[in-house]
Amino acid sequence: MAMRMKAPGIGLAKGMWVTLVNLLKKPVTINYPKEKEIPVPRARGVIALDTDACTVCMLCARECPDWCIYIEGHKEMQPPAKPGGRPRSRATLDRFDIDYALCMYCGICVEVCPFDALFWSPSYEYSEGSIADMLHPKERLTDWLKTVPKPPALEKN
Amino acid sequence: MTERDFRAMNLSEVQVSVELVTPDVTLNLGPQHPSTHGVLRLIAKVDGEVINEIDPVIGYMHRGYEKLAEVRTYPQITALVNRIDWVSGFANEVPFMVATERLVGVEAPERAQYIRLILAEMARISSHLMFLSSYPLELGAATPLMYALRERERVLDLIEGVTGGRFHPNFNRVGGVKPAAGAGSDQKKVVQDLPEGFLAETREAMRTVLAVCDDMDELVVGNEIFLERTKGIGIIPAERALEYGVSGPNLRASGVRFDIRKTDDYLPYSKFEFEVPIGAVGDCFDRYMVRLEEIRQAARIVIQAVDTLPSGPLQAKVPRVIKVPRGEIYVRAENPKGEMGYHIVSEGGRGPYRLKIRSASFSNISILPWLLKGQLVPDIIAILGSLDFVLGDVDR
Repeated sequence: MAMRMKAPGIGLAKGMWVTLVNLLKKPVTINYPKEKEIPVPRARGVIALDTDACTVCMLCARECPDWCIYIEGHKEMQPPAKPGGRPRSRATLDRFDIDYALCMYCGICVEVCPFDALFWSPSYEYSEGSIADMLHPKERLTDWLKTVPKPPALEKN
Repeated sequence: MTERDFRAMNLSEVQVSVELVTPDVTLNLGPQHPSTHGVLRLIAKVDGEVINEIDPVIGYMHRGYEKLAEVRTYPQITALVNRIDWVSGFANEVPFMVATERLVGVEAPERAQYIRLILAEMARISSHLMFLSSYPLELGAATPLMYALRERERVLDLIEGVTGGRFHPNFNRVGGVKPAAGAGSDQKKVVQDLPEGFLAETREAMRTVLAVCDDMDELVVGNEIFLERTKGIGIIPAERALEYGVSGPNLRASGVRFDIRKTDDYLPYSKFEFEVPIGAVGDCFDRYMVRLEEIRQAARIVIQAVDTLPSGPLQAKVPRVIKVPRGEIYVRAENPKGEMGYHIVSEGGRGPYRLKIRSASFSNISILPWLLKGQLVPDIIAILGSLDFVLGDVDR
């Protein structure tokens, strides 16, 4: 492992050569606010909510490791589907907030949702000046639905 | 000798025999110091340039994961444990999952084990690349950082492409890896298998990683200033390293050929060929060289695993709600920083009764008071950096 230098400065010159080779390569960085990086489809950026699919089962809120999902709902009587049938009660979502100041982006809520109401979107530009604005209400979570990409193709093997 | 000479001699003797009493100066390094890798505080008592006593103060990063784990279920803890050593998040999850699986009595399918192995070795590469580049930075060379981080970015992108997270993958599940769900409108029906092109891109990334290792060889290892700063500095003899519980590359640099990948069977490492590099003396330079060689070996393992990746399911059959029977277990793994182990005590139920985390960095820096005693102040950072610890791993 011992490296004996024949002449002083050879190590330095070799290092300079590496630097010179890299100097002639194209930069790998991008100029962020002007150019935007496209994240991979699976990137966990922000959680989108499909309010129609949600049945207020509270599984996501219970399984969340830091309990940052706030859900409220109530039962509503629906008119019978066929004439002569009986009216059905249906759970309606009143409040669905995710506090992104608390969220640790583990994805457990998306995974446990039995009715496919939650999706990951790779969007990342939603920082706020005030920490209270990091609480996204249901309307804002629904807006994220537009940014959910198609899942990537899988490896053939 | 004339009388005058005699008197002059006496006079000079008198002057010499006056004892200069200089008090030791207390030097505070950190907790907010740019070179201490986070919030580590070192209280050094220095006599001039020589350190007489050093007292590391830890705990500024304490997040109480062992306590938090007691009120969480096993899937929730997975999200916590990859935050312990954030430079190699995936490698932290593996021993915890293996421990849970052994308690439950399931085994991950072969494909899942291979994916775990590939991603864990990639985490090792990204962690070691971070060390290889930031260590010269601490000694005054800023350029290697840029080259190594460029390749580290490729590796992290690959990890993100599979798991969805760059630092916190949260990809392991009891009985395998994440089988379904994730990001996408009809993802639930589609498994979260490796995305298309992953294998080819991994081979390409490993090629560039090996190239940047050669660059490091020329840029850093041959550099006279680097050699002066690291050779013969901070020598840890093998028996001393064993006494303090030093593990991982730091132990191997001292000449002990001990690698948990070879001795334990938490992942199918026995199917792959790789060497365990060891150092000769145990100084800072050996610790650097061992990690440089470990990257090459890790790349070798990844390429072999990618070539022989079996097909099959991603998760064994497990119930939807994981309940762990009563019992206790300790599973350790060779993490980039050293031995990482989880001791789970289960009283039955969805969460552990007690989780003890044995993290590598904590034991590795426990040698600091002994190691830094008698060293020079300018060598503090050289020695500190060569131990390659992460404060999150120290405090947990």
